Amino acid sequence: MAGEEPLAQLRAILLGPDRAAWESMRQRLDNPERRAEDVAGVLAEAVRLRSDAKLRRALQPLLEDALQRSVQSNPKMLAEALFPIFGKAIRRAITAELDGMLQSLSQMLEQSFSARSLRWRFESIRTGRPYSEIVILRSLLFRVQQVFLIHRSSGLLLQHVAVSAAATKDPEMVSGMLTAIQDFVRDSVSASEKENLETIRMGEIGVVLAYGPDAILAGFVRGVAPRNLNALFQDTLDAIEQKYTDALHDFSGDASPFDVCRPRLQALLLGQGGAGQRISTSRGARALLFGVPAVLLLALAVWWVYSAVSERRWMEYAHRLQREPGIIVTQAEKRGASFYIAGLRDPLAVDPTSLVPANVRVADLDPHWEFYHSLGPQFASRRRLDELKGELEHRAFRFATGRADVPPEQRFLLEDVASQMIALIQAGTALGANLQVEVRGNHDPVGTEDFNSALARSRAENTREALITLGVPAGRVTAAAEDRDKETCSAVKEEERLFCRSASFRVHDLNQR
Amino acid sequence: MTELKKKVCMVGQFGVGKTSLVRRFVFSLFDDKYLTTIGVKIDRKDVVVGSLALTMILWDLAGEDDLAQIRISHLHGASGYILVADGCRAGSLDKAVELQQRIEEQVGSLPCVLVLNKCDVRERWEVDLAAAAARGWPVFETSAKSGAGVEEMFLGLARKLASEGQ
Repeated sequence: MAGEEPLAQLRAILLGPDRAAWESMRQRLDNPERRAEDVAGVLAEAVRLRSDAKLRRALQPLLEDALQRSVQSNPKMLAEALFPIFGKAIRRAITAELDGMLQSLSQMLEQSFSARSLRWRFESIRTGRPYSEIVILRSLLFRVQQVFLIHRSSGLLLQHVAVSAAATKDPEMVSGMLTAIQDFVRDSVSASEKENLETIRMGEIGVVLAYGPDAILAGFVRGVAPRNLNALFQDTLDAIEQKYTDALHDFSGDASPFDVCRPRLQALLLGQGGAGQRISTSRGARALLFGVPAVLLLALAVWWVYSAVSERRWMEYAHRLQREPGIIVTQAEKRGASFYIAGLRDPLAVDPTSLVPANVRVADLDPHWEFYHSLGPQFASRRRLDELKGELEHRAFRFATGRADVPPEQRFLLEDVASQMIALIQAGTALGANLQVEVRGNHDPVGTEDFNSALARSRAENTREALITLGVPAGRVTAAAEDRDKETCSAVKEEERLFCRSASFRVHDLNQR
Repeated sequence: MTELKKKVCMVGQFGVGKTSLVRRFVFSLFDDKYLTTIGVKIDRKDVVVGSLALTMILWDLAGEDDLAQIRISHLHGASGYILVADGCRAGSLDKAVELQQRIEEQVGSLPCVLVLNKCDVRERWEVDLAAAAARGWPVFETSAKSGAGVEEMFLGLARKLASEGQ
């Protein structure tokens, strides 16, 4: 204790004047309220000094959280605060979007399937530019001749670009006048500050206007400007406003910071003026480029259609044959230019070639038929008829030399012939035939011609009468005047002449005469 | 050389000779008829002050009379303005003072100069020069007829704008 006293005194002597200050500093540091007051005093200045990304990053989550909580607790407040801005903006955005949509819809309908639109799509892919920009560039005849970037409140020109051909009057003054005209229009229609003049038109020159908080983008357009040009201007202006917010806000007459915007503005000098000449000079080459493949394609299409039609006709023919009795189609196909058809065919069936339709060439048909006997009822009865006919025509009724009467003891031979005839006529009627039997009188070569001729007639007539008495209908049997096989008879030997002194039979179908 | 652009308005009573005052000294593109139609006409005046090339975009506002008021809204974004009065008409100076007050109220404090025109007929002047000078604005005496004092006036305003800008 005794040692500490002088030390304390020494301390008081040495540090006395600063102690009060230290004490006050210590109290300030220990007292949270005082500390808060101190920080509050320099907070605004500190934030201003530290206006870099780090502070922004630090504050961002806090602000987001605070905003979120505010929305959750009382959404109405924020909604009311934002409504005047958003309400109008949303209304205008919807109107603009609808307008744009209608126009692009009609354009799309016009262009979506044309060769031109395919070319544009290709160009869009090749150049990496959006398809809509290519459409604007190529579809309408217009040219953006000058673009003005104007400081909104002063009307001073920030940047100006023009196509070389455009007659550029003093852009500084044009910019001022444009702003004055907007003020005038706004005042004249007593619209609010928020409403803006969007387009101006004089003859074929139009002015497209886009507005931002601090700047106006105006384009002088010759010709018919597409409606989405406005949107393109607005997008460009939004990008500029976003990038140069501070420079625009603090603008005081020095436009040099905006020189870097020139490429963006130059990109807006869209349009197709003078492009017509280029198109016309290359028209010949283009015709060749597109014309030759087009002609080839057309020829191919015509051939394809012709081939399809002819194949269809041949297949119809094959189906028709398939339905025909006595014909079985096993294969039918187009082989190159010809039509191959194969199958089975009854000789009694209809001739397939006679059914070939008139609109195809018979020469193109390549048929391969195998013959067969169909067991179908109509073919069976037909064959039976042919059989009966053959049997009858092989028969003969013989007479004695120089005689034409039918001896009673030989009548039974004619009975047999008569019953054959009746069966044949009935079978023929069943198949739709109208059969008639011709009785022929024959004679041998011995004797005079007159005598033999009369003899042959008598033999035929006598045989006919005998057959009629045996039940053969009179209308179905005729007698021939003379033997038509006279030469055959004249050639044979004596022993065979017996066969020449006879009556023979020939069957005719009256329906087929 | 630094290039600067400034918007400058010219206001004054109807008939004080604003338009004639600048006609011979500025680059003009638009016809005077704009004054009577849309109430404003844009001209341009290039001035060199030291190492500064100043482009003044002059908004010549239609003169105010009993029938028409000038649109103060045109002064938004202006860096300064020229009050024009006719030395031969005391009323025109009162009008200039009144306009200055209205601008001050609606747009805020901006650099301005006062121009007393028609100095070629000085003997007919009615205005009280001392009272005008007392307002603290630079005062220039000009003549649209002879051109006297006009260049000096623009140069004076340019210096004021240049010093404001720094």
